[in-house]
Amino acid sequence: MAQTLKPGSGPLDYGSRTWLKLLFAAIFVALYAPIFTLIAFSFNTDKRGVIWRGFTLDNYVKAWNNDALQEALLNSLAIAFIATIIATIIGAMVALLLWRFRFPMKAAYEGVMALPIVIPEICMGVSLLLFFINTGMMEWSVGMPWPLNLSNIVIAHVAFCFPFVAVVVRSRLIGFNRQLEEASKDLGASEWQTFWNVIVPFMMPGLVAGALLAFTLSLDDFVITFFTSGPETVTFPVKVYSLVRRGVSPEINAASTVLIVITVVATVIAMKLQAPTKTGEG
Amino acid sequence: MTGYTPKFSRKRRSILQGLGALGLGLTFLPRNSLSEEEKKLNFYNWDTYIGETTLADFEKATGIEVKMDLFADNDELFAKLKAGNPGYDVICPTNDNLERMIKANMVTPLDHAKLPNFKNLDPVFQDAAFDPGRKHSVPYLWGTVGVGFRKSKVEGTVDSWKVLFEDDKYAGRIALLGDAKVVIGSALKYLGQSLNSTDPAMLKKVEELLIAGKKNVKVYADDNGQDLLASGDVDLTMEYNGDILQVMAEDDDISYVVPTEGAEMWQDCLAIPTGAPRPENAHAFINFIMDPEVEAGIAKTVQYGTPNAEAKKLMDKAYLENPAIFPPAEVVAKCEPALYLGEDVTKMRDETWTRVQAA
Amino acid sequence: MDSWRGNLRVFWTLFTPGTFWLLVFFLIPLAGLFQDSFSDKISITETAFTGTFANYVRAFDTVYLTIIWKSIWISAVATAFCLLLAYPIAFGICFAPARWKPLLLLLVILPFWINLLIRTYALIAVFRSQGYLNLVLGWIGLGPFEMLYNNGAVIMGLVYVYMPFMVLPLYATIERLDRSFLEASLDLGGSQVQTFFKVTLPLTMPGIITGIILVFIPCLGSFLTPDMLGGANAIMIGNVIERQFKAANDYPFGSALSFLLMYVTFGALALRAYFASRSKGVDV
Repeated sequence: MAQTLKPGSGPLDYGSRTWLKLLFAAIFVALYAPIFTLIAFSFNTDKRGVIWRGFTLDNYVKAWNNDALQEALLNSLAIAFIATIIATIIGAMVALLLWRFRFPMKAAYEGVMALPIVIPEICMGVSLLLFFINTGMMEWSVGMPWPLNLSNIVIAHVAFCFPFVAVVVRSRLIGFNRQLEEASKDLGASEWQTFWNVIVPFMMPGLVAGALLAFTLSLDDFVITFFTSGPETVTFPVKVYSLVRRGVSPEINAASTVLIVITVVATVIAMKLQAPTKTGEG
Repeated sequence: MTGYTPKFSRKRRSILQGLGALGLGLTFLPRNSLSEEEKKLNFYNWDTYIGETTLADFEKATGIEVKMDLFADNDELFAKLKAGNPGYDVICPTNDNLERMIKANMVTPLDHAKLPNFKNLDPVFQDAAFDPGRKHSVPYLWGTVGVGFRKSKVEGTVDSWKVLFEDDKYAGRIALLGDAKVVIGSALKYLGQSLNSTDPAMLKKVEELLIAGKKNVKVYADDNGQDLLASGDVDLTMEYNGDILQVMAEDDDISYVVPTEGAEMWQDCLAIPTGAPRPENAHAFINFIMDPEVEAGIAKTVQYGTPNAEAKKLMDKAYLENPAIFPPAEVVAKCEPALYLGEDVTKMRDETWTRVQAA
Repeated sequence: MDSWRGNLRVFWTLFTPGTFWLLVFFLIPLAGLFQDSFSDKISITETAFTGTFANYVRAFDTVYLTIIWKSIWISAVATAFCLLLAYPIAFGICFAPARWKPLLLLLVILPFWINLLIRTYALIAVFRSQGYLNLVLGWIGLGPFEMLYNNGAVIMGLVYVYMPFMVLPLYATIERLDRSFLEASLDLGGSQVQTFFKVTLPLTMPGIITGIILVFIPCLGSFLTPDMLGGANAIMIGNVIERQFKAANDYPFGSALSFLLMYVTFGALALRAYFASRSKGVDV
C-alpha cells in the first residue's frame, strides 16, 4: 500500500481506503437486503405476505386505523425511552465504580453484575412475573393511568439493560489515562468538576454505545415483556409476536416501515439541528 | 362478585414474598372496589379468530368495550395465567389445556343462568368429557389436525399419516408441527393407538418412528405450515384445518385431508379465568357469542367448525359441505379429542420430543 | 485504582443505585426460581422445596449434554462471524469523517430496531428456496440452493440478531483509540498489518472481549432463531429451557437448566475478573 502523505490519504486515514469502503458497502447490503424486502412487502396486496401479488397502499391505511397496533408502538417507544435513560445512568455509575475502586469481593460483585446478561431471558421473565404478582406490584400497576401502568415493564427492562451499559462503558473507561484526572485536580478542579469536564467527555462514546444498546434491547424485547405485561400494557414486540406466529401480515411490515422512516427522519433532523462541533465525538 | 378482587394464587414462595416486601419497603395502595363493573372487557384470544364485526356489535349491543389481546399458543396462555390473572376476563383455551386449567383452579365455574343462548348449541357439544356438565366452559369453535398438501406435487391420493412419517418419496418436502402433543398424538394414531395412549412401550415406538422419519422432515414448523406450503417451501405439512383452508382460498393447488387412521379433534372453548375483574361482562360476552347470528359471522370469517346448531342453519352450502371443515363421518368416528394426561405424562412426552429433536 | 475507603461518599453514590436495582429487581425475584431448581413439582401449579438435586442430575442426561454442546459450538461460530464482520464496521465508523459518524452508527443499528420476528421473517423471504436470492441466482443459471432450515441458517440468523452487541462495544473502544500509538508503530517501520496485529488489536482487546461476552452468552440462550430458521435438527438449549417454562410446565427443571448455564458462564467471568485483577498494567 502506498504510504504517501497527501492530505486525505494518510497512513491512518482508513476511512478513505477503497477496500474498507467496499467491505463496508458489502456488509450494508447484507444488513439491508431483508429490510428492503420488508419495505417492498409492505406494498404487497397478498395478505399473507408470501408471494408478490401487486402494489397497494392499503396496508398503510390499515396500520393507521389499527388502534391496538399504534398503542402497542407507543407503549414500546415510551418504555424504551424511559428505560434507556435510567439504565444508562445506572450502568455508567456501575462502570465508574468498578473502574475506580478496589473493594472486597470485587470479582464476585462483577460476576453478579453480569448475571442479567448471562441468564436465559425466559428465566428472568418468569422470575419477575412471580415477583410482581407476589409483591402485589402487578395488581398495583394494572390500575394506574398511562404511562405509570408501564412501570413494571420499565423496571424489568432497566434490570436487564443496565448491566449491558455497564460492560460497554467500562470497556471504554479502561483506556482512560488517570493522569488527566490528577492534572485536573492539581489545577484546582473539584471532584465534580473533574468528573463532569474530564471523565464524562471521555466516556461519551461508551455512553452513546451503551444507550443505543439499551434502547435496542428494550425496544425489541419480547420474552421478559411478555411475562411482565398485562392486557392493558401490550408492547409492539408482544403484539407482533402473537400476530406473526401464524404468518406476517403486510400491515405489520407497513408499521415497521413507518417506524424506520420516522427514525431516519428524526436522526437527520437531529443531526442538522446540532452544530457540527459535537462534544465527545472525536 | 362485582368489585375487582383479583385472586392471585398465594403459594409457598415465602422467601420471595418476605424478601420482596423487605427489599421494597413499600406498601402498594389497595384498589378501590367499584360498586359496578366498568363497561370494559379484556378478551384473550388467538389471532384471526373472531368475526370481522363481532366486537363492535357487542359494544353496540351492550356498551361494553372489548379489548382483545392475542396469544400465540396454549402454552403461552397457560404460562401467562399460571401465577395469577393480570386482568383477563375471557380466555379461549383448547380442550386439553382447559382441562388442565380446571384442575389447577385457574378458571371459575360459569353461571348458566346468565347464559340462555347455551340452548343453541348442538346437543353433542352441550356436554364434554373434559368439562363434565360444561360447568366451566362453552365451546367456541372446533377442528382437526391433518395433512395439508400441494396436489400437483404428490402422487395419488393422500389419505394416510404415512406420507408424513415414513414415506421417503417426499424427503425434504415435509413440515411437521413443532408441538410435542400433536406430533406424538398423530404418530400414535398412525400406529393404530389412541392419541391419549400413555403406554411407555408405545411411546418408545413413536420415538423410533419419528427419529427414523426425521431425515425426510425439512422443518418442525411453528403453526406456519400453511405459509411454507403456500410459498412452495414444502409440499406436505401437518396443520390445523382452518389454517390450510385460509391458503386454499388463495391457491387451488392446495388441499387438506384428515388421514383415515384418525386424528386429533380439538375444541377451543370460552372460559372465565380465576380472578377475572369483570365476570358479569364476561358472562354477557360469552352469551353474546352463542347467539346464532354472531356465531355464524365468526364461522364465516375464520372457517372453522361451529358447535352452534342454530348458527349452522344460517351458513351456506359451501361451508357445510366442505370436507376440510366437516370430515366424512367414518373419519370423524376415528378422531378423538386430546385429554389432559397429567404432569408425569407431559414430562415423559417432553423428554421424548427432546430426544427426537436432538437425534 | 483507589481503595473504596479513600472516598466513601463517591463510593456509596456509585455503589447504591446499581446494587439496589440488581438486588431488588433481579436477585430477589431470581431467588424464587433458584429455590425451584431444588424443588419437586407437587401439582400443576405448585412446587415444594425438598432440597433435591434430581433436576440437576436430570440435566446431565446425554441428550441434554449433546444439546448443550451443540449450542456452544453454534454460538461460538456465530460469535466469530460477528467479530469478523463487526470489527471492520466499527473500525470504518471510527475512522470516517466526523460528520458521518452518527449517521453511519445509526445505519448500522437501525436494522436492529425492527422487531426480531419481522426481521427474521424478512430473512426467510430472502433466503428460502423460492426466495429472492435464489431468484437472482436463477437468472445467472445457479441454484436453487437450500439455504434455510439447517445449522448454517441458525448461525446466520444469530449473526443478524446479535451484531449490534459486537459493533457497539468495539465502536466504544476503537473511537478515541490513541492514534499516536499507531503512528509511532508505522513511523518505526511497522507495516500496516503488523501495526494492526501488534498495536491496534491489543489496544482494542477490552472491546473485543466485551463484544464476545455480549454476543456469545445471549446466543447460548436464544430460542426464537433456532426455532424459526433451524431445520429438524436445530434444537438448542434455549429451546429446551423455554419449553420447560411453557409446554412442559416444569419450572424446577427449567430453573435447574438455566442455573447450570449461569454457573458455567458466571464461573468463566469470575475467573477472568480474578486474573485481570491480579495482572498489573492494563487492567481488563
